[in-house]
Amino acid sequence: MLSFILRRLISGVVLVAVISFLAFVLLYMGGGNIARRILGENATAETVAKKTEELGLNRPLLAQYGDWLISALTGNLGRSWFTGELVSVSVSGRLVVTLSLVIGATLISAIIAVVIGVLAARRGGAVDGTVQFLSLVGFAVPGFLIALILVLVFAINLHWAKATGYVPITTSFSGWLSSVTLPIIALSIGAIASVAVQVRGSVIDATSRDYVRTLRSRGLSEGSVVYKHVLRNAGGPALAVLALQFVGLLGGAVVVEQIFAIPGMGQLSVRSTVAGDIPVVMGLVITFAILVIIVNLLIDLAQAALNPKVRLS
Amino acid sequence: MMFRWKATAAVAVVAALALTGCAGGETETTGSDGGRADRLTLISIAAPTSYDIGAGAEWGNRSEFFEAVFDTLLRKDASGEIQPNLATEWSYNDDNTVLTLTLRDDVTFTDDTKLDAEAVVGSLERFRDGTSPQAATLAGKEFAATDATTVTITQDAPDPSLENLLSIAPGLVQAPSSFDDENSATTPVGSGPYILDSASSVTGTTYNYTANPDYWNADAVKYENLTINVMEDTTAIVNAIKAGEANGAKIADNNTIAEVEGAGWTIESNELDFQGLLLLDRAGTMAPELADVKVRQAINMAFDREALLQSLQSGYGTVTEQVFPETSVAYDEALDSTYGYDPDAAKPRLADAGYPDGCTLNIMATAAFQTTFDLVAQQLADIGITVKYTDPGASNFITDMLAPKYPATWMALEQNPDWQLINFMVGPAATFNPFKYQDDTVDGLIETVQFGTEDEATAALKELNAYLVDQAWFAPFFRVQGSFAVDANTELAFWPTNAYPSIFDFSPKN
Repeated sequence: MLSFILRRLISGVVLVAVISFLAFVLLYMGGGNIARRILGENATAETVAKKTEELGLNRPLLAQYGDWLISALTGNLGRSWFTGELVSVSVSGRLVVTLSLVIGATLISAIIAVVIGVLAARRGGAVDGTVQFLSLVGFAVPGFLIALILVLVFAINLHWAKATGYVPITTSFSGWLSSVTLPIIALSIGAIASVAVQVRGSVIDATSRDYVRTLRSRGLSEGSVVYKHVLRNAGGPALAVLALQFVGLLGGAVVVEQIFAIPGMGQLSVRSTVAGDIPVVMGLVITFAILVIIVNLLIDLAQAALNPKVRLS
Repeated sequence: MMFRWKATAAVAVVAALALTGCAGGETETTGSDGGRADRLTLISIAAPTSYDIGAGAEWGNRSEFFEAVFDTLLRKDASGEIQPNLATEWSYNDDNTVLTLTLRDDVTFTDDTKLDAEAVVGSLERFRDGTSPQAATLAGKEFAATDATTVTITQDAPDPSLENLLSIAPGLVQAPSSFDDENSATTPVGSGPYILDSASSVTGTTYNYTANPDYWNADAVKYENLTINVMEDTTAIVNAIKAGEANGAKIADNNTIAEVEGAGWTIESNELDFQGLLLLDRAGTMAPELADVKVRQAINMAFDREALLQSLQSGYGTVTEQVFPETSVAYDEALDSTYGYDPDAAKPRLADAGYPDGCTLNIMATAAFQTTFDLVAQQLADIGITVKYTDPGASNFITDMLAPKYPATWMALEQNPDWQLINFMVGPAATFNPFKYQDDTVDGLIETVQFGTEDEATAALKELNAYLVDQAWFAPFFRVQGSFAVDANTELAFWPTNAYPSIFDFSPKN
């Protein structure tokens, strides 16, 4: 297992390096005059030229990437061209916010999806039909629309939660709960729909296997058969979907954070990309890439732990 | 089983109570201490750039962030008139090339260092030599500290905009002790009415300030705490307003005004920008048709400005045919009906110019304003001008416009005070005169504005404005209403000269 983890980590490093280079090139290809984008239309051509030189934008692309890479390898991601804030500070502060939304949404969607997925598979009939119908609705309705409805009902009309902004948990637990509840629900709906359908299918598939008939013939209770044996086998595909959902939720957070004005990575991504703040965008790209690599690794390990038939190789 | 349901219900009730208890609780303006209200919460649509005045200080929609922590040498009151601030007196020499400022002697920065003439000179030089968007406005000026409270600004030629500049970003004074500190970008040291609480602020999103206990003009500070939340999304702004999560908010989209007023908020407004076509290639180097004034005049006749204002801004604004704002001495209401909407008269004028079958005009477009471009194309088509749009991409829009790569463009431009406006869009070196078009009449009038007496300058400005309209340098559609909403607990005197109100002009109603 150790060699598996090491190999995955090494390939992850290579992947991050490739992604960082591609991101750097793409940013410059579509970036227009970056100094002009930073300074706006009021700046004169002379000031724009001065800014271009100050940021080193007049140097060859490879030289700029090389400098960034060397600096990044020493842990220095530079400063925002726009606000002057250290990129590491900027990204780490927002990573906590986004992770609280995405992990919250992942946990909630995992729990609810497993419960209703198993229910649908075991009960069948109307329950199954209802779960499938609701999953279809969950797929079909866009996350931003759900977010807007939640704000309208629970924040504006009922005043049960905050419509905008984020309160750190260290400042106030109830304030934090109030600021993340609606965004987490908005993010969870689609994920619940995807994972529930996957769990349902996997459980139905697993319960028709011979070993389940054998277990039942040995007199094991239905609960034991389902929760100890069927779910273990059905968990693999569900975990894979959950991993994909986690990555998808990172993308979904971009929209949700805009609607709820939450200072997370999604909001920072939009703002820094529009502003042409390349050091921040690069910091975000690297962080997202590392996050996805770690999550995929953890899911592989979890699958191995859940099902001994899965071999790490 | 019953127990689990009860426990679940209890948890749900506690959670709901917790959520209810903390939602929408940020708008208190009570709890006053010493005549001040507790907190003012504002919504801004643009995050501040670096707090280092040499790297990013700006006014406009970012003024509130800088006004909170720094002082300017002069300041504008709610009516837009220049008033003393750090400088109590100021005067020019005979030929208006040396401005002498007398400073207050009782001001300290928030790091307890003294604000004196050397500090002011240091700040002015830092701004001039830096890369803030307006850095060029101080180019060529020299600054000197004559004594501890006297600063002189020397320039080669008169600059009629200098006093205005000293009341906005170029006039900001930063503590010299923070010049070499890289963290001054996010941890400003000034002498302003508030101190930024960096620990509880999130750069780019939430800025929390507490009142400066040693502020020299304490009576002007009406709130103990100030919070500015940055929201670029129109929906988020309207949601925050409806949920009562702020006291004041910049309205990014005038089409939301009815909704905002429906929530019980009041709209204060001014007009600072015009939208319209910039007919940049007046010499016809790229589009020979535009060299003929009759073509430019015909273009001005093509637009149903009232309909455009209604369609694009829900009617919030005023139709205009001149680029000088209503606050300018150059403004003449009669000029706004010079051309009118007269497509029938436009066609013969095009024919007179040698284009009886019309012509084609290359204009740049961007997806964000597609409705505008569609309407412009339709109205120009009605007089026989075919518009050929090219979308260079949002990130290249300004760059390509100023390159210049197109003979004409749609644009929303600031209507600055007169001399700044001239240097922004009229003069031969103006940023938005990318073809460097020159006209002897215009040059002569600009010279009088700069070197003439006040009366001569006023007359020249009026004449310049009338000439630009007659020669159809631009085809303005309307001045856009700049809108700011305040809740029922807050009063605001919205100055006429900036996109965002002064933080000194908010006050609690009770």
